[in-house]
Amino acid sequence: MTAGDAALEEAAPVRARRASPVVAAALAAAAIVLGGVFAGAVQSTLLMTLLTQAIITAILATGVGFLIRQNGVVSFGHAAFYGMACYTIALAMRHGVMPIEAAILLALVLPTALAFALGLVIVRIPGVAFSMLTLAVGQALYEFATKARHATGGDDGLTVNLPARVFGVSTSLFQDPHAMFVVSWAVLALVVLALAAVAASPFGRLTAAIRENEERARFIGYATVLPRVLVLTLSAFVVAIAGVLFTLYNAFVSPDVLHWSLSGSALIMAIIGGPRLIWGPAFGAIIFFFAKDMAGDVTEHWQAIIGVILIVVMLLLPVGLGGALARLWRRGAGHG
Amino acid sequence: MLVQVLNGLVYGGLLYIVSVGLVLIFGLRRIVNFAHGSLFMIGAYVGFSVAAMGGFWGAVLVAALVLALAGALLDVTVLRPLQREDPIVTVLVTFGLLLVLENFAQFVWGKDFLKMPVPAMLSGSVSIFGESFPAYRLLVIAVAAAVALGLSVWLRVSRIGLYVRASSADPLTTAMQGVNTDRVSVVVVALGAGLAGLSGTISAPLLALSPSMGSYILIESFIVVVVGGLGSFVGAFVAAMVIGQVHNFGLVYVPWAATMIPFLLMVAVLIWRPTGIAGSHV
Repeated sequence: MTAGDAALEEAAPVRARRASPVVAAALAAAAIVLGGVFAGAVQSTLLMTLLTQAIITAILATGVGFLIRQNGVVSFGHAAFYGMACYTIALAMRHGVMPIEAAILLALVLPTALAFALGLVIVRIPGVAFSMLTLAVGQALYEFATKARHATGGDDGLTVNLPARVFGVSTSLFQDPHAMFVVSWAVLALVVLALAAVAASPFGRLTAAIRENEERARFIGYATVLPRVLVLTLSAFVVAIAGVLFTLYNAFVSPDVLHWSLSGSALIMAIIGGPRLIWGPAFGAIIFFFAKDMAGDVTEHWQAIIGVILIVVMLLLPVGLGGALARLWRRGAGHG
Repeated sequence: MLVQVLNGLVYGGLLYIVSVGLVLIFGLRRIVNFAHGSLFMIGAYVGFSVAAMGGFWGAVLVAALVLALAGALLDVTVLRPLQREDPIVTVLVTFGLLLVLENFAQFVWGKDFLKMPVPAMLSGSVSIFGESFPAYRLLVIAVAAAVALGLSVWLRVSRIGLYVRASSADPLTTAMQGVNTDRVSVVVVALGAGLAGLSGTISAPLLALSPSMGSYILIESFIVVVVGGLGSFVGAFVAAMVIGQVHNFGLVYVPWAATMIPFLLMVAVLIWRPTGIAGSHV
């Protein structure tokens, strides 16, 4: 079974679900309500802080994973889009040039536009070279942010001066782990749902076809560059959403949000969770955060641990933990 | 001015030695080794440790040999079992290795920057057309030139070189001619890794050693390889030289933008020729 067959196999349930938008909407609503109930039930601020970070990063990983799923390419540079969203808000607030609502909108538009422009150049570059390029492009932005000290504060980062209210809601709410968990969780649920709908649409199937055999898709008469550019654009948009949430939550940005190691972590989360499933990367992100938390005493060696986990998952479980779970679930359902 | 050009040659030369290892491995195996920068970094540290005990020249030799051995091991245990998989799998597995090696270096040598002294014999400077230039930097240029020359002769005259060139031009036809890449790849990957170790050690007196130096050089050498055209030896040489000069003149004249210039150059080249200067295939 090739990777492509597996991808289609995993995609099948999503297609079935699409048949009823009502069911999908109900699922999303249920997920959001569950998130709210969960946040209400959990007292521990420590746990909620961890979870909120995990969920925001899960949105980032979902964007990275969607690119793998639809285009079959691996990006080592998505922190560029994430960090760009963060810095857009930080700089707009610093200079007081626009209201926060406009800054948030701009923080979503700019990375998306960059991804589109960049995509026109880089999506034609196949497989491995694409990974090398995204790494280089992402790091270019990081270098720029650390060098442009007068604008970005360099390595010291920037405190984001958020106004008292954002979209009419008290800003302190966005910095409360419980409340922000509910917000991020709801956003994640909507993102996963929307991406599942895109993947199941004719556009999603076209990009899957291009991923499997670009040449053949072209022979059938499809333009093959633009759909891939759009997938990259969409994945950058999702990543930018995560950047916006991160900035609202932390009210502080530093060049770390642009660094390739963040891109790398997001990629690892996507792989661990299983990028063939829309929800796999988010699942991977949550596992990643809990594993890191549990590593506790040995966090000094966390990097080596995650490196080994990545290697083991790649070699022994290419469908990821989420993929394995989905298989078990289907097998269980088949017998039941 | 002359000094600037020479400094550009030093940086370009180092980049070339690292990048050509990537090109060698890509040429034969069609994969990109994301742990290549880590091999450079480990080479620098091994050189640092050996130099402290047994002198600079011993360090160069030991680092190159140790890394060549590590390369052979990498080929047998990682690259060979994965050759039937999608190249992306190798990318991710070697990325995992990068993380492990960086952590390993941090564990053994610590997080702090280390500084390796320039060997006493070469610590002076030489006068070239009335301008003085550090002797050690001249050595680096000489080593890069020797590697470039030696490698191109080796690729021309040896059987393995023939296979590498054939395979980088067309892997399928090469395989159909009965070339078994497995039999030569140990040598090729060991050579590529050994060169990374060599460049790591000779660049150690010029750079501050840190575990993250590997990912920095990895990104720079990716730019070289992509600009040059994946799998092209001549392309990598030209790209390394150009980026060496551009990088260096950038540092002198537009320091705030210096680190950006190679990236912009890369994007410009890719818009102009998506497969790089010398690339007809990716």
